[in-house]
Amino acid sequence: MRRKSGLVLLALAVFFAALSPLLRWYAFPRLAKVPASQYQDMVLEAKDATLLDYDSFKAKKVSKVTIVQTLKGNVEASEAIERTAGRDVVVWDGLSYVQGPDGKMVSKIPERYIFDAHSQEPVHATGETVDGDPVKREGIEFKWPFLVEKRDYEYFDAQARVTAPIHYKGTRDFRGVSVYYFEQTIPWTKVPFPKSMPVKGITPEDVAATGTTRWYTTVRKFWVEPVTGAPVYGEEIHQEELRGGTLLGGREKVTAFAGHVKMREDYIRSTVDLVKSQRTLVLLMTSYLPWGFLSLGVLLLALALYLEARGRRPADPAPTKTSAPEPVTA
Amino acid sequence: MRALIAAAAGLAVAFALVLTITAVGAPTGTTSPKPMLTTVPSHP
Repeated sequence: MRRKSGLVLLALAVFFAALSPLLRWYAFPRLAKVPASQYQDMVLEAKDATLLDYDSFKAKKVSKVTIVQTLKGNVEASEAIERTAGRDVVVWDGLSYVQGPDGKMVSKIPERYIFDAHSQEPVHATGETVDGDPVKREGIEFKWPFLVEKRDYEYFDAQARVTAPIHYKGTRDFRGVSVYYFEQTIPWTKVPFPKSMPVKGITPEDVAATGTTRWYTTVRKFWVEPVTGAPVYGEEIHQEELRGGTLLGGREKVTAFAGHVKMREDYIRSTVDLVKSQRTLVLLMTSYLPWGFLSLGVLLLALALYLEARGRRPADPAPTKTSAPEPVTA
Repeated sequence: MRALIAAAAGLAVAFALVLTITAVGAPTGTTSPKPMLTTVPSHP
């Protein structure tokens, strides 16, 4: 019976010990992925910003410019691409809607971002666009891969449609979460006018015909939780100018937008809470369960060996039988 | 010999379990019916 228990414990020990590396290096890379159906919205604000007044065509100070960003996973589109790509793909339809202090639309830029659900590497397929223009992204956008490394990454800038390095600048604490801080600077770059202009009846082609061009620079900052690869906070020091052409009435340039864009406080809190819970799930697969299973395996093996050793120990000598003296015949 | 069989059985079950879980994977879900926002939400 003891021998049988020892064998069962040995089988369990091997089971748990094998499960530990299998979970970390086989199951985790295959199971950890961005869900194709994710829906997420974000509100960012630039207080005391500068905004172009399209009536006077002069830059003016405004109390606040709000950016509402929506990301919506398109499951049907991702499944269609998966059939040919042969891997798990996520299709995010995004919209950056910029609103002035009066509630009127300043710009809206839709985009479609297609990427590998596990590695977050871009996947090139028909429909990959920014504001209706086909693009071929290199590098990441919005989210870092799981288990972020302390190094620079390539990050796609949707305004300029270029990929540039986003530099790792150190580990910091953000509201109790250990994060990696990244920063990217996009120098002054000529960018296309948004397809949706804030003034009705004016198209980007009309503006371009006047010879006026749109220029943009930004310093992008991200505080990224390294286990999930999810940014918990982001800021942008964003500037846009219109330069040259007849539209500016002889002026060389005019500021179209300038502001320090930051996430709204309630969205920071909800993002931090969400990332904290996701972090626990990822750690369960990369750390807690593998180490727990390995420890359990070692413990069970020790118990199995102990039972085996006890089973093999020579049994105590049997009590000697004292036979009653036989009657002696005289 | 019996110890070897027990160890092999443990290993086989571990492999079978992990392979099954990864093959099944997570459900894909459906596209959210929520709209792309063009108004400022009052809360997350």
